[in-house]
Amino acid sequence: MPATRIILTLLLHLIICQAVFSQQLRPVYNFQKDDTVLKRAYYEQALQNKNKLTGSLGSNYKKDYQEIYEARFKEVASLLQSNRSVTDPVAHNYLQSILKNILDANPELRSKDTRLLFSRDWWPNAFSMGEGTLVVNAGLMIFLDNEAELVFVICHELAHFYLDHSNKAIKKNVETYNSVAFQNELKRLSKQEYGAGQQLDEMIKKLEFGNRRHSRENETEADRFAFMFMKNTGFDCNGIKTCLQLLDKVDDSLLYRSIDPELTFNFSSYPFKKKWIQKESAIFSQMSNDNSPLTKKERDSLRTHPDCAVRISFLEDSILKARQGEKFIMNKTLFLQLKKDFFVEMAEQQFKSNNLSRNLYYSLQMLQSGENTAYAMFAIARGLNIMHESQKNHKLGIITDKETRGYPADYNILLRMLDRLRLEEIANINYNFCMQHKAEMSVYTGFNNEFNKAVNQKTQY
Amino acid sequence: MNSIKQSTKKLNTNFKQKIIHMKKPLVIIVMLLSIVTIHSQTLSIDNVRKAALRTSDAIKEGSDVKGYYFFYVSDKIDKNTNEYTLRILDNNLKVLKDVKFQDSKYVTILESSFNGTDIIFLFYDSKEKTFEYQVYGADGNKKPFNYLRVLSKKEQKFLDATYLSFDDEDQTLKGLYPLDGKGFISNMPSREDKDYTFQIDYFSTEKKKQWTYTPTEGGKKFVGDYLGYFNGVAYIEVLKFKSMTDQKPDSYILGLDMETGKQLFEKTTDAKYRFYPASISKLNDGRAYIYGEYFDVNANISKDKSLGFAFWGIDEKGKILSEKYCSWDLDIGKVLNVSAKGKIDDFGYLYVHQIVQMADGNIYAIGEGYRKVASALGIASQMMSRNSGMSTIKIKITDMATIKFDKDFNVKEAKIYDKSSNTVELASGMEFVSAPLLGKLVKYTYGEFDYSYTQTNKDFTSFTVCYSDYERGKNYKGSTFNSISYNDGKITTDKIKTKSDATRSWVLPGKQGQVLVLDYYKKDKRLDTHLEKLN
Repeated sequence: MPATRIILTLLLHLIICQAVFSQQLRPVYNFQKDDTVLKRAYYEQALQNKNKLTGSLGSNYKKDYQEIYEARFKEVASLLQSNRSVTDPVAHNYLQSILKNILDANPELRSKDTRLLFSRDWWPNAFSMGEGTLVVNAGLMIFLDNEAELVFVICHELAHFYLDHSNKAIKKNVETYNSVAFQNELKRLSKQEYGAGQQLDEMIKKLEFGNRRHSRENETEADRFAFMFMKNTGFDCNGIKTCLQLLDKVDDSLLYRSIDPELTFNFSSYPFKKKWIQKESAIFSQMSNDNSPLTKKERDSLRTHPDCAVRISFLEDSILKARQGEKFIMNKTLFLQLKKDFFVEMAEQQFKSNNLSRNLYYSLQMLQSGENTAYAMFAIARGLNIMHESQKNHKLGIITDKETRGYPADYNILLRMLDRLRLEEIANINYNFCMQHKAEMSVYTGFNNEFNKAVNQKTQY
Repeated sequence: MNSIKQSTKKLNTNFKQKIIHMKKPLVIIVMLLSIVTIHSQTLSIDNVRKAALRTSDAIKEGSDVKGYYFFYVSDKIDKNTNEYTLRILDNNLKVLKDVKFQDSKYVTILESSFNGTDIIFLFYDSKEKTFEYQVYGADGNKKPFNYLRVLSKKEQKFLDATYLSFDDEDQTLKGLYPLDGKGFISNMPSREDKDYTFQIDYFSTEKKKQWTYTPTEGGKKFVGDYLGYFNGVAYIEVLKFKSMTDQKPDSYILGLDMETGKQLFEKTTDAKYRFYPASISKLNDGRAYIYGEYFDVNANISKDKSLGFAFWGIDEKGKILSEKYCSWDLDIGKVLNVSAKGKIDDFGYLYVHQIVQMADGNIYAIGEGYRKVASALGIASQMMSRNSGMSTIKIKITDMATIKFDKDFNVKEAKIYDKSSNTVELASGMEFVSAPLLGKLVKYTYGEFDYSYTQTNKDFTSFTVCYSDYERGKNYKGSTFNSISYNDGKITTDKIKTKSDATRSWVLPGKQGQVLVLDYYKKDKRLDTHLEKLN
């Protein structure tokens, strides 16, 4: 029957077309694949360590120690049980190869029960939890220039762990707070009718100054030990200097160029409106960022870390005397690739943690710098669709940051824009954005779905 | 009256929850944020420290919220002196500054305002009977001058009975108005010898400069309402009462030189009609217009219903350049089914809460309906006891409404926004009170209208009207926070359901077009605060 044949032919054609079409779809980005078995093993190790520690506690201030160790474990567990921690074999093995290099060169560190991880957190930091978990954030890794700098960061955190700084600080604080003198002073102030607040302020200030001074001393000691560990590795110890210089300005640094929302959201059929980003009158608009009532000396006394210039000066002579080393030993190509990958991983992590404004910010940085543009376009379309729905349900404030002193200027402009866009404007912007990129993005998974959502949202107005 | 008001409130609590006003939730925030774990055996710093919140409020520039302040006692210094902390936050709830100082234990903050550059705070010392105005500049520092007003015994007594006596949650009595970057105008009741009057003060923020104007001549009582300023002139609507019982006061517009406080003109608003201006705006034609409701020339303003809306063009010399009247029956009747007495079918009378004018020239009157209905409770009470104290009528508060006028003050359209009705039981004797006076009672005495506030942005391209409501749907039963918004010539409405998975939620005014939502989760001892846009 010709009719049946035609229908069958059409069906076959359709099936073939769909197959071809689905074969053509590419992922916007190949995300790292985490190793859940490894994560579980690390978690179990951390749990055992915690249980061992709390089980061996003496009767002195047991409850206080227990509370602190439980809280610390909760932090470690939240890292290991979430998608914040990176256990993707490529990235993780690379990090372990660097750790192995350091441990091989420094046998005294080998007996330590260490778990070194990358995290997808955006803020530029690395830290030691004090119970063996050491973390280097993606937000720091993206700014490092070479392996030598990464080695210094790891050696510094290893030094904190080796020197048991965290546990010593816990012990010192618990003993101070529970000391007879401190408790008597608090009891006296609790009964004092006048001036108790001022005396309490003085007490806190004194305690804080003591803690911060101790913290700075620990940092200096960790730097010294980091140098001692690093000089045995074969890496270039000048990495210490360049890394500290980088840390000094990292809060104001950008990996990619700063963004201009108008560049991406200006369309001939829907022009960008200047009123979206115009500055409004604000309370204390000319107030300096440093509005502390403390004197400079007091402010310096409250720093947790010494000045980077001071840290460099302490080690400069030793660095000069150290034998020449290499900037890269393990894998330069992989190091550079990881830096790029971590930017996307970090951006996507912000999406997963429900911070859509920061995900949009990183996506715009990538798009406007021509890096990972497929992911960037997809993430922008997806983000604006979710923002539209969230605004409709009065939940946008939960998934977006607000303009804040200390944020990069371009991020604050984007936040101001998000704060002002009306529902209809979000729908129009996203519709035009999707239309503009439809052709180049139609071969990527997920974009068409976002495009359809954007069209639906636009038709509501 | 009080007992009836209270019992009515109890009835209404179940029937329709009012959206909690500004001050109480701010106190709650501080309480919730200060929840600390109290260790059973040892003392912690947190449970030794004692802090008591004295006042808190939004800092506004006009109607737009620009920030918030918390004023609390952070320490007691001696039996007469406290240490205070004034914490100032921006409109994203980020702490900008903590100001610590010592002062008498009788000090509190009554008002604040922001003029685009500077903030002014009005401190009141109830023992010394002084008002002190302190100014903070854009750099966050206190200006090296302040303005002091020492109250006489008579003034104190009068203010105790007026300005200082009200739990003024709606801020109807607040009177610190911003002058863009230049200073502030204060409008406050005052007492001069035997006269009951008001006082207009100008406080410069650039340097210490002040002037004061107090009318006393030709009347026994004066009520002043600062309308705004235009071309260096401050415009004030004045009602002059010949005696304390005068029911037909003279109404006039007063023009004061902004530089010197000198009176420039006094223009009566009693002409063809009796006109009571409520606001002033500079329109696109560069002229200033005053507008409000008008009455019959022989009307008793406390009882009689207005005839409609009037719009007068006025120059800086007080010359009336144009007059336009829109009557209820002829003009507004074209778009709404209004009787000559101003009653609208199924809606009742319109209580006008606010009139706003947009940059495109369009003017919107925002009001709420109310009408008298029989009270079953009151009738039953009267039958059981003639002296039950309850009225046989009650007030039914109906819907929200907006009336739009074009730039030539022609009525263009009116829209009624449905909301669930709410009733107010009245005291015995209210059966004989006129509907317009009942509207005023519902607003100022009972405080039972659902209307919350109206905000406009600085360039008058957008306004938001907010009011509370109650929904009894299949999917949702609970109170709602509603809005009517105007943006780019378009009106939209929105609704926030205040009953959520949180233990309790509050909605507070935020910057124009936004609200601050507070969700408290009792189990987690967590308070989520998020600013949300009204769509």
